[in-house]
Amino acid sequence: MEDESHNNTLPNGFNTGSPESPFLKTSTTTTQHNKEQDRFLPIANVGRIMKKVIPPNGKISKDAKETVQECVSEFISFVTGEASDKCQREKRKTINGDDVIWAITTLGFEDYVEPLKTYLQKYKEIEGEKLSIPKQMRSEQRLQQHHNNYHDQNNQPFNGAYASSNLISQPPYVPTDQKFSLTFSPNSIQSQLRQQDQIDSVGHWYE
Amino acid sequence: MDNQGHGHGQNPSMGIVGNGPQLPYGSNPYQASHITGSPGMVVASPGTIQSTGQPAATQLGQHQLAYQQQQQQLQQRLQAFWANQYQEIKKVTDFKNHSLPLARIKKIMKADEDVRMISAEAPVIFARACEMFILELTLRSWNHTEENKRRTLQKNDIAAAITRTDIFDFLVDIVPREDLKDEVLASMPRGTVPVTGPAEALPYCYIPPQHAQQVGAAGVMMGNKPVMDPYAQQSHPYNMAPQMWPQLLPPPPPEQQQSSPDQ
Repeated sequence: MEDESHNNTLPNGFNTGSPESPFLKTSTTTTQHNKEQDRFLPIANVGRIMKKVIPPNGKISKDAKETVQECVSEFISFVTGEASDKCQREKRKTINGDDVIWAITTLGFEDYVEPLKTYLQKYKEIEGEKLSIPKQMRSEQRLQQHHNNYHDQNNQPFNGAYASSNLISQPPYVPTDQKFSLTFSPNSIQSQLRQQDQIDSVGHWYE
Repeated sequence: MDNQGHGHGQNPSMGIVGNGPQLPYGSNPYQASHITGSPGMVVASPGTIQSTGQPAATQLGQHQLAYQQQQQQLQQRLQAFWANQYQEIKKVTDFKNHSLPLARIKKIMKADEDVRMISAEAPVIFARACEMFILELTLRSWNHTEENKRRTLQKNDIAAAITRTDIFDFLVDIVPREDLKDEVLASMPRGTVPVTGPAEALPYCYIPPQHAQQVGAAGVMMGNKPVMDPYAQQSHPYNMAPQMWPQLLPPPPPEQQQSSPDQ
């Protein structure tokens, strides 16, 4: 059954398993081969979408994917033809989203219509926002400046703290010195000096 | 080509005439087709056909029930699918990532020489429409895969989905005849398939003997015995055609045309 079906597709030259087969058997040029590939949507994309509605343990034959590839191209041509006819009747040159949705409605795909209308509406809203890109860029610049200001403010308090630390370190030193001479050994005095050095180095680092 | 044209010409009238009766009757051929899938013996004598009538009735009843359940399941899945689609689209915020390449869609649209200019939004809408199309076609095809107790979606499953779904009529030419005939025979009584189907199938011995037997039994059950016996003796394809003629009260000319290919 399956082999039989596969054999029957050979004469076509399009539906054989390997992408190279039709090229080899029909002796088409590379250009023509590429052109044929362009007639279909990528089989990987099609396969990925198909997997969304079958069970996890279900599988899809390559023949099935290729058949759906052809069906989708036919669907696009079918709908486009209807939309194009409408544009010609109305003497318009450009096919737009509404024309596509109208054609889909006319051709009987009613279930598709409401989702697509919602989709188109959303697309137009977002595209409308995109049209004001210069404003967005300005907003972004302001945001960056604000961010920089915030960063500077972050630095200043630290500098202030450092300065404050400097101020604080001197007064306690004098009384501490006295205390040391009275109650602590020279070793304690040296450890205090080391701590002050650490503070200086840390402050310098932040500057 | 001419045969197809002839069949196409007959389709509308048959569809109109048999629209009502076709619906309840349509389930039988599907079950017959399903039963045909299993191996069986060729029945030679009319007496034997009668004796197998009862077992066939039981089998048909069971398969008919299974088929109805399968169809209900499909309808439920489709409803859930469309509800899900609507919800998903409501959540869409990014129009840059498409599941299908816009440039390729545009090329396919441009293949039509009448198409001049395409707005940027058209391929975007098509990308979504094509995704829904692929999903619906795959969902309906998978239903046929399950009917046949398989886990791999095959080309003939897609052919079946195309044949059973009106909005997919424009795809009939894409499916190879080989994949279509199996479904053609099963769905013939609905009057949506050219009458020449059986005649074309005959040269390839496409109908398994079991299928003919079951169809004969179905005929007996439906009280068409007087009409069925002579046809059953002549050829397999005629087991399908006579079932349709009584239902549709066909005019003499089509019947004559039907018989000539056999001679």
